[in-house]
Amino acid sequence: MVELRSLVKHYRAGAGESVKAVDGVSLQVAEGELIALYGPSGSGKTTLLMLIAALLRPDSGAVVVDGREISALSDADGARYRLHELGFVRQTLNLMPGVSAIDNAALKLLATDIGSREARRRVVPLLDRLGLGERLHHRSEQLSMGERQRVMIARALSTEPKLVLADEPTGSLDTQRSREVLELLTEICRERNVAVLLVTHDTQAVAYADSAHTLCDGRIVEYEPDKQLAAAGR
Amino acid sequence: MRLSNLILLYRVRLRMRLVQELLAIMGIAVGVALLFASQIASTSLDGSVRQVTSGIVGDMRFQLAARGPSGFDERLLGEVQRIPGVRAAAPVLEQHMTVLSASGSRSVELIGTDPHFAHLGGPLLRHFTAAQLAGQQAFALPEPIARSIGLLSLQTVNIEIGARVIQGFLGAELLESDIGALVNSPVAIAPLAYAQRLAGMPGRVTRIFVQPFAGHDREVQTELTRLAAGRLNVRPAAFDASLFDQAAGPTNQSALLFSAISALVGFLFAFNAILLTAPQRRRLVEDLRLDGYGRWAIVETLVFDALILGTVASLAGLALGDLLSLAVFHSKPGYLSFAFPVGTQRIITLRTAAIAVGGGLSAALVGVLAPLRGDVLSPLSLAPVMKPAGRARTSGFPLAGLVCLAVTTGILLAAPRAAIVGIVSLLAALLLLLPSLIREGVLVADRLQRSIRGASPYLAIIELSARANRSRSAAIAATGAIAMLGSVAIQGAHANLQRGLDRSSQDLARIADLWVTTAGPQNVLATTPFNPTATGKLSHLPGVAAVRVYRAGFLDYGNRRVWVLGPPRTATAPIPPSQLLGDDLGGVTARFRQGGWVVLSQALAAEHHVGVGQSITLPTPRPRTFRVAALSTNLGWPPGVVILNGDDYASAWASEQASAYNVMLRPGVSPGEGQREIERALGAGSGLVVQSAADREGLQRRTSRQGLGRLTQIATLVLIAAILATATAMGAMIWQRRPRLGDLKVDGFSRGVLWRALLLESALLLGIGCSVGALFGLYGALLLSHALATVTGFPVVFSLGVSTAFVSFALVTVVAVATVAVPGYLAARVRPAVIAGD
Repeated sequence: MVELRSLVKHYRAGAGESVKAVDGVSLQVAEGELIALYGPSGSGKTTLLMLIAALLRPDSGAVVVDGREISALSDADGARYRLHELGFVRQTLNLMPGVSAIDNAALKLLATDIGSREARRRVVPLLDRLGLGERLHHRSEQLSMGERQRVMIARALSTEPKLVLADEPTGSLDTQRSREVLELLTEICRERNVAVLLVTHDTQAVAYADSAHTLCDGRIVEYEPDKQLAAAGR
Repeated sequence: MRLSNLILLYRVRLRMRLVQELLAIMGIAVGVALLFASQIASTSLDGSVRQVTSGIVGDMRFQLAARGPSGFDERLLGEVQRIPGVRAAAPVLEQHMTVLSASGSRSVELIGTDPHFAHLGGPLLRHFTAAQLAGQQAFALPEPIARSIGLLSLQTVNIEIGARVIQGFLGAELLESDIGALVNSPVAIAPLAYAQRLAGMPGRVTRIFVQPFAGHDREVQTELTRLAAGRLNVRPAAFDASLFDQAAGPTNQSALLFSAISALVGFLFAFNAILLTAPQRRRLVEDLRLDGYGRWAIVETLVFDALILGTVASLAGLALGDLLSLAVFHSKPGYLSFAFPVGTQRIITLRTAAIAVGGGLSAALVGVLAPLRGDVLSPLSLAPVMKPAGRARTSGFPLAGLVCLAVTTGILLAAPRAAIVGIVSLLAALLLLLPSLIREGVLVADRLQRSIRGASPYLAIIELSARANRSRSAAIAATGAIAMLGSVAIQGAHANLQRGLDRSSQDLARIADLWVTTAGPQNVLATTPFNPTATGKLSHLPGVAAVRVYRAGFLDYGNRRVWVLGPPRTATAPIPPSQLLGDDLGGVTARFRQGGWVVLSQALAAEHHVGVGQSITLPTPRPRTFRVAALSTNLGWPPGVVILNGDDYASAWASEQASAYNVMLRPGVSPGEGQREIERALGAGSGLVVQSAADREGLQRRTSRQGLGRLTQIATLVLIAAILATATAMGAMIWQRRPRLGDLKVDGFSRGVLWRALLLESALLLGIGCSVGALFGLYGALLLSHALATVTGFPVVFSLGVSTAFVSFALVTVVAVATVAVPGYLAARVRPAVIAGD
């Protein structure tokens, strides 16, 4: 489904210095599979996500989604790819204030050829499945943090993407709500056969993944739970 | 994207930024309203004269026009009719008259024509073919004019015409169904013979309108020119409308200039209000792009935003502008009605509305798209991506600001006609320099607060110094600064112009102790002629030292209706000293007394390419060549002025008629005593009035103030808008601050401390912004004053106007901070829990 082939992305940092944000990453994610990428701040997680989302071009290597090389997509094709094939769940809950859950969830669908009424109709089962059936018309301010994250998941899945990129999806949540959100995300993506790449530095989140890797200084190394837990405990 | 989706997207986002959207709407609406209202005022003025002109001339093509008020012999009509190619010719006599009644008076243009020819004229005269009126010795008035002074048809009324008060018969009222919009025009219609009788001008006419057969225009014009023999004017039939366009041009131009500046200020209000929402929009653009919205879809969304904003703001602006034009701007410049039939109708054209709406939509498009241009075009980033070290984007701002300031200075010195460009570059300089000036101001305030104990100043300075708040602080300060610049610049230029006109009025009025002129509001410029039969009687009055005949009138010279002043040769100061361009007043006065010399207004001289010492032939009834003794301002009469001595005037007009008596009193006789003595001597019903020099000066000042009314109103509106805009922008900023205030409360800061900190922050920000704006405004006033003096030739007295600037600064800052106190107090009451919930 998704294949990262020796991805490299360096940034210049002035005075001739170069920071290796992503340094030869290779990875595969199959349909319905949830892969966790564990890494501390500055390990290159965000750059890697931007490469997969066609928001950055790699210096070398390739991102292949469903057999299609997406690293060299034009700006318009990149937008189409993100609209139809990719869902993004972020840590920052960028729901529009004063706007209902259903309208926030339908926002992405509005960019497609679907009318607003149909867009709303389509996200209702999704929100229902995410446990927000009773909260459809509540404004974002009236939702709890966990509910807001679920609305973000509904928005990400609204265009039935093949791949979901989850960037610290539980970063703003407490333990109980993190667990609920992760369980829902895992279940719903498996039901829909959606591949998920979960980027986190939450060891609890890693437990929901089919497999996990550690990203360190732009490179993928083996995930060692005990070591990570010890590091987290320190 | 589908329209329904765009609408939904707009609707849901509107909830996020309703206050800022309303601010933006208000800013653009103010600009649109000012543009629209001033345009209505201009088109109504021009249009009303055009309507009267076309109402008279109809399908006529040419006119043979008298050069003076005494007209010419009507027997010329026969010769005109005999010209081969002439299909028809219609004689007309026009005279100013004032209709009197117990409840008031109205000045109108009496138009007398031969009923047999009236059907060839426009709608005003066509109605006149009604046998009812044609057969009567009567005149007709538009119904609203008659009603305004309580007159009904079929009654005898008193009329002032020239220096006589006579009785006339009001035979009919003209209704809107008869003459349409002309019903609001200040005209009276009468059969030619009756009009001649009323005017005391038997056998005289002032124009003959001519309609040639098709294809005979050139030969008819040639023959008319031959008949005119250099003593009459041959013009297109509707030439008066062109003369009026020229006369009203400078007033309309200056009003348009001021309106454009106001509109620019309004747009910048809106722009700043939109800037306040830029971070929200930026985040939204980022989210949408991340969700797969293409650039075009983002642009569609933003353009839709702008179109809605622009449309709503433009509609609000049109409604507000309509109200403004009705309630505020609907004052005619009285001085133009002395020479033209200016009506009271309000004329709104599609073009006027289109210009205003186009301005509003463009402002919204630029306002919405410009700040987000980079966010749409640049690559999307999920996090601050490491970039090569470089200088901040704003590091070049001060230098660019200084360049803009240099451009303004260049325009001020070399091309004041391009004042609007100069104002734009001045605004740009202000916006570019302001961030640095705010930083410096905050540094000074920081040093000061260190010596003051208390948390409020500390918090205020911390907020202003925070890098994250700089854009927002700059936007708020810029709102105040721009408003102050606009307000101070317009008020300053207006004050300079008013001062110049006042000085001109003083110079003109003070050449005599008393003025005796014909009565009626039409005669402020003393241009109505009368026979000076009372000279001897007045000279022998015990309190009177001398009586001199003053002459003045209008002369159509090229495409200008110029004001010709003929003060008495022996007047003490016949040339207005303050209006002379040059410093040889003694030499100029000597040449004036000698005769054969004229003083010309600068624009008039430039148009005819003559300078001091050169010769010019004036197209007077008896054309005469004069030498130019000096140049002057236009004394407040936009088309220009000519000053020559009264004897030269009489010779050139071939008429001994006077326009006023200039009376000099004996020493010890007060103006009041002299006035009463002369009034007794003239007797009741003479048609002449006596005014002291001070009264006359006051009357002229009031008239010029009426002419500048629109400019005064625009300056006031900009000041009000400034207060509203700054207070609202500050209020919105403070309201958005509540979560952080809640945070500070958690840290133990009391409500009072937070409130005082907010007020101090507002005062500092507005103080810096408004004081910088006021300084730039003074520079703007200098630029506008130069533009007015150069473009319009008006008398302008340059003054820095620091006190006006200070009053505006104090007013805007104090009122805005006082207004902000309420949302500040409410925001400071926020509960610490707010941050947890948000």
